[in-house]
Amino acid sequence: MNRLHIPIEHKKLANGLHVVVAPDSTAPVVTLGVYYKIGFRLEPRGRSGFAHLFEHMMFQGSANAPKMQHIKLINSSGGVLNGSTSYDVTNYYEAVPSNALERVLWLEADRMRALKVDDENLKNQRDVVKEEVRVNVMNEPYGGFPWLDMPPVAFRNWANAHNFYGDFADLDAAHLGDVQAFFKTYYVPNNAVLLILGDVKPGEGMALAEKHFGGIPAGAPPVFADPSEPEQTEERRGHVEEKFGTLPALAIGYLLPKRRTAEWCAMALLDQALHGGRAGRLYRELVLEKQIAVEADGGIDDLFGYNGPSQMTTRILHKPEYSSEATLAAFDPLIREVQGKGISPDELEQLKVKWRSDYYATLEGGRGNYMPKYGLMHLLACFTLFDHEPQLVNTILDGFLAVTPGQVHSVAKKYLRNERRAIVFRTPAKTGLTADAGVKEAA
Amino acid sequence: MASRTVEVAVGVPVLAPEREVTWPKRTKTRLSNGLEVILAESHTIPKFHGELFFRSGNAGVADRAPGLAEMTATVVRTGTQKRASRKIEEDLRRIGADLSAQAGSDTSAISFSGLSEFAEPLLGLVQELVREASFPETEFERERRQRLEEVKLQRRQPGFLASERLRKVLFGAHPYALVAPTEAQVAAYKLDDLKTVYRDFYTPQNGLLLLVGDFEPQEMLKTIEKVFGAWSGKKPETKPFPAPVHPRGRRVYLVHMPGAVQTQILAGCHAVTRKHPDWIRLGLTNSLYGGAFNSRLVMNIREDKGYTYSPRSSVTPLRQHGFFSVSAAVRNDVVAASLTESFYELDKLRSLPVPAAELADAQNYLSGVFSLGLATQDGLLTQFATVAQHELPDDFLETYRAKVRAVTSEEVLTTARKYLDSANLQIVLAGDRAQIESQAALFGDLEIFDAQGNVLQP
Repeated sequence: MNRLHIPIEHKKLANGLHVVVAPDSTAPVVTLGVYYKIGFRLEPRGRSGFAHLFEHMMFQGSANAPKMQHIKLINSSGGVLNGSTSYDVTNYYEAVPSNALERVLWLEADRMRALKVDDENLKNQRDVVKEEVRVNVMNEPYGGFPWLDMPPVAFRNWANAHNFYGDFADLDAAHLGDVQAFFKTYYVPNNAVLLILGDVKPGEGMALAEKHFGGIPAGAPPVFADPSEPEQTEERRGHVEEKFGTLPALAIGYLLPKRRTAEWCAMALLDQALHGGRAGRLYRELVLEKQIAVEADGGIDDLFGYNGPSQMTTRILHKPEYSSEATLAAFDPLIREVQGKGISPDELEQLKVKWRSDYYATLEGGRGNYMPKYGLMHLLACFTLFDHEPQLVNTILDGFLAVTPGQVHSVAKKYLRNERRAIVFRTPAKTGLTADAGVKEAA
Repeated sequence: MASRTVEVAVGVPVLAPEREVTWPKRTKTRLSNGLEVILAESHTIPKFHGELFFRSGNAGVADRAPGLAEMTATVVRTGTQKRASRKIEEDLRRIGADLSAQAGSDTSAISFSGLSEFAEPLLGLVQELVREASFPETEFERERRQRLEEVKLQRRQPGFLASERLRKVLFGAHPYALVAPTEAQVAAYKLDDLKTVYRDFYTPQNGLLLLVGDFEPQEMLKTIEKVFGAWSGKKPETKPFPAPVHPRGRRVYLVHMPGAVQTQILAGCHAVTRKHPDWIRLGLTNSLYGGAFNSRLVMNIREDKGYTYSPRSSVTPLRQHGFFSVSAAVRNDVVAASLTESFYELDKLRSLPVPAAELADAQNYLSGVFSLGLATQDGLLTQFATVAQHELPDDFLETYRAKVRAVTSEEVLTTARKYLDSANLQIVLAGDRAQIESQAALFGDLEIFDAQGNVLQP
């Protein structure tokens, strides 16, 4: 078996900033990222959507690079940039020809040191974010299904259960003071990791990191709200009206085992047995064999990238001639089957080969053809911020390849229970089960 | 028309000297059965990416039924003389591979990737799919129903409805006007028609096999000979289509979507193909206008005005004809304002030369992004496939960056004047007519359609 090894250097600057350098001179390009350990899960109460709105603000100007300059300086260096907000981290990243390395480090350091934005910037980006929500959620069939629909049904702690894109009223209520307070609390070097990957020598990368970031003062260590959930003891259900789509849909989410345990590895392979493309049991049975569903996909989203309660979520769009209950009645036996019999050694072997193949693909690419090593960056960042162990990128595969059929069987029995799941029904308006829009909790 | 003064950054580090792009070794050959083969080494990960494509797609059979080549590709992966659908999927998983079959306007293709250690079995399966697909009746009927549901759902998506209408407006009787079949057309597909498409299109003389990845090319070539050598078949005859008439004058086409909380704007006109001598100049002009994050369009209607989240412009190069388009999903009350600003930026490019610094920035952008696209196996595959599909010169990729850098400000002006005229843009708006009809009418004669394409009274 041909194993991939990624050379990595890691150090922590005096101000607490982690720096990870992964050199590879294959192509004359570098990928850079700064990850902050704050996502939408732990954004302030009463400010739903704020972590994401704040991410937009980070492109609006810093002390020495005013509005439009971040974007202009990266693009005009031949590079691309973006940012994204997820449950537990927010990232900012660039891919550029390697001759622009120092320029990008300067820009990232400038906005870590001093964000400089005003009311006009905030109003502008609030408008942009509202159009983002409209285009991705409110004006699109199955928009936000199930990633926005599931949390309020599945979870009880506000941190996990609120609207991550934000209620428009909350977005409107956000003011400049919130922006500065959020920046001061979470955007400190001791709550971040800098990643430099690609065409760079490790010594050079470390020296440039020290030069540009070393002088940024550390902040008080952020205090994080507790994201833990009270124990779930019964199945939870909710209904959401589908405004545009033609087919009824449902999503079923099961709580996951704790991160980086043997059970977590086994669950990841069980997820692949169920959701692994056209060979996965759910697609095969519900779409190809029984032909009840038109789509049956989903699974664990971003396995390595969360640091709190999360689910494995199946997403099903089914033919209107089957009721939601009939569809669920076809889904349930597939779960009972893995609980009763587990999966065969042969099936597990297939899954492991595919897992290894997918893992390599993740490390190489990840976000289209113009953001090389995005996946490697993401894994290194999460392993550093959550586990303090970037070298996991070279060893974590072992845990998955060591999973036994017995372990898969036992996680299926323990985790795929009705009292550990939540179900969201998203039903087209005309044939809707509920008269009102919005999420409703069944008794 | 930025209402805000643009400030400059202070103390920005200068760029270091650029490192040369080193091109992967390429091996180009043709098997005795006519199959073209291109191999390129890339050792980033112990995998490889491949594509076996045929130079015929939906446009070639549009007179029989729209989307027929796509449906054929879909059913190709569902069974061969040796393997049933379920076995195909399990065998792919067993060797860690991904595979898809699809057809666009101009090509039909099997795309795949997998671990280098299992290259031969993966190529073997690809070979089976293109030579021995069995077209099982039950698989066909299931895929047809799936397609019907997709076709219904498309009509609820603003992006699809806008692009469907723009294609009809720009291409008229040409097959490029048809981006998707209707429900009735899907219901009328016949298995025998799919088999005919398969027999005609999927031949070695019509095909090109591209592999990029972690392998030794001479060894790989031997494997390819062994796997594909016995395959045979002729190049299909191609029918010429009359060139589409370029619409003159500006008109507005409103696709009514009751209840839409936003309006999808899509405006376009005819442009050029990748083979055309103006291609690189138009690409650069587009980049300045709306093809990059720091382009004029994005800075205006997003970063200054906040009308939209993702405005962009692009040149779409189909093999026979290309077209330019600008798109943005905007708030309902700023449809007219967004069009006005978008046209203002377009007209400005035709009226005033681009300042030297801005031109250099755009040249850096296109040149740099091009290098980024060469850093992964799939990125390389995409570049090589583009050159092959559009039959571009062998040195197209190697000379691309120098050609971008050679474009002058005068040439941008000339190019904008030649191709980008807001007075002749065809404007499509997908949204709720009650919210936007009066704004739409400001920009030209208005035609209104429902989502099914029926004409509604203004």
